[in-house]
Amino acid sequence: MNDTSGPAVPLQRDGGTGPADGQEPGAWAQLSRPVQLAVTGAVALCVSAAVVHVALVFLYVAPANTVSRQYQSQIDAWIYPYFEQDWRLFAPDPQSTHQQISARTSTVAANGVTQTSDWIDLTAVDDAAVRHDVFPSHTAQNMLRRAWDAYETALGTDARLTSRRTLMLQEYLRNIAVQRAATRVHEPFDAIQLRVVTTPIEQPSVRPVSNRPAASAPGVRYLPWWQVTTDDL
Amino acid sequence: MTSDQAVTGARPTTVGLPGPAIGAGGRPDPVTKAFTFLTEHAVSLYAASLLRIGYGLLYLVFLLREFPNRDEIWGPGSPWTPALARELFGQTGWFSILTLSDSTWYFELCYFFALVTAALFALGWRTRLTSVLFALVVASFHGRSIYMSDGGDNLIELMAIYLMVTDCGRRWSLDARRRPRRSAPTAQRQLVIARRMLSTLLHNCGMFVIAAQVCVLYGAAGLYKVQGGLWRDGTALHYVLNLDLFQPWPALSAQVDSHLVFSAVAAYLTVLVQVAFPFAVFSRLKYVVLCLLLTMHLGIAVLLGLPMFSGAMIIADAAFLSDSLITRAVAAARRRWPR
Repeated sequence: MNDTSGPAVPLQRDGGTGPADGQEPGAWAQLSRPVQLAVTGAVALCVSAAVVHVALVFLYVAPANTVSRQYQSQIDAWIYPYFEQDWRLFAPDPQSTHQQISARTSTVAANGVTQTSDWIDLTAVDDAAVRHDVFPSHTAQNMLRRAWDAYETALGTDARLTSRRTLMLQEYLRNIAVQRAATRVHEPFDAIQLRVVTTPIEQPSVRPVSNRPAASAPGVRYLPWWQVTTDDL
Repeated sequence: MTSDQAVTGARPTTVGLPGPAIGAGGRPDPVTKAFTFLTEHAVSLYAASLLRIGYGLLYLVFLLREFPNRDEIWGPGSPWTPALARELFGQTGWFSILTLSDSTWYFELCYFFALVTAALFALGWRTRLTSVLFALVVASFHGRSIYMSDGGDNLIELMAIYLMVTDCGRRWSLDARRRPRRSAPTAQRQLVIARRMLSTLLHNCGMFVIAAQVCVLYGAAGLYKVQGGLWRDGTALHYVLNLDLFQPWPALSAQVDSHLVFSAVAAYLTVLVQVAFPFAVFSRLKYVVLCLLLTMHLGIAVLLGLPMFSGAMIIADAAFLSDSLITRAVAAARRRWPR
């Protein structure tokens, strides 16, 4: 194929009465020159748009490479926000730990004494909601899990809370905790704290081939107390 | 090509064959053939309609399932507050009808609108219009709850956008029942032809993008897993089956988990099928791979409690069913169960 102009070719011929195998012979020939030109332009435009879109999606999903680095800004401009995608469910490795998130609240009483509630197991509530449900709700399966994942990831690169996004995710996580604690603690509270206990999932009974570290003691992480205003409740 | 042309050119039927461009041998050149194919031969019309019905119904079921939690996920009372959502949209450029007002009544109206749109889209009523509305609804709801979504929501959002350009209302739809009664006056013939060519062209490009998107999805999912040690040593399923949030039937999960050989084989097969997918769809192997994926996704739906995610994937796989296969299957079903 030495003619690379593609769809322009049909215009160079006149007098044809229609396509070779279309449902309606002569469809093309019934079009006047300007309409033929417009259709040809549309073909060129649509085909290139489809090919470019697929190429950009591929480059976005593929590991960073010389091409995707060079065209980073163009790829991002096209993909974000509507074509963003992430196909990493349980990959590269599924999560191999349990993360159990609890919250407790505190109230400063009129006499100045701070009263702290017991720990409320938020994860257990989600787990119980998923149990024996053929269609678990996003509120149980995704909300707290993804909020913590996103916040933890943001903290990993932004421990000093300099980025606005980290603060937004913190507010989100706090709101989830406040909403759920409010259903358990019936008095208003001034502050809330989260605790994340990470326990490794036990290895399969057969000796695993990989050199994964043996199950270690659970890691406990306390987040700072976050203030709660009456508007939040 | 020259010898081929010489042979076919000698055939009386092809000599005078009309066409936009006829080669010296009386046969359209490859570019013309591709051009004609793109503008006059709509591929996979049944598959496109399956996708429309599938995603429309899936989203309808999703909205009904989350009806009791609608305010918590998308409403003014969500922990991801309207203010936070608006701020994020300001950073990312997303648009959602849901953040236009914080009023509860407005939200309830949007929810009702979403339910009706999903139902009409599944039915194929004025599909050109409802497909745009469906994409608007799905993008609005997905963006509003972006930090509560998973791969299934993501895929439905992409497919809703792609389906806008396809002719997904040509088969099995209310439009298809109405269409035969319409006939255009001859004066507008040119416009009618041009319009049909353009819609066929858009449809074909849309179906190509959908197919490519699914290939990218499986290829990426498979290749990411190849990099993981747990998928390599065959223990990945053990960890997946022990995540509490993906364990609606703990006894069933424990049962599957106890079969170490089965778990290892299933883990390897998952990776293999996903990596092979983009190559297998061009061969007869396609149907074997699609059957394996169907089994895998049904397993995920039940075992891991991810029916929405699995449903979205199964519907996406339907994009690879050819029209001839679907019509043959329908004919066989009609013969078996006559009305």
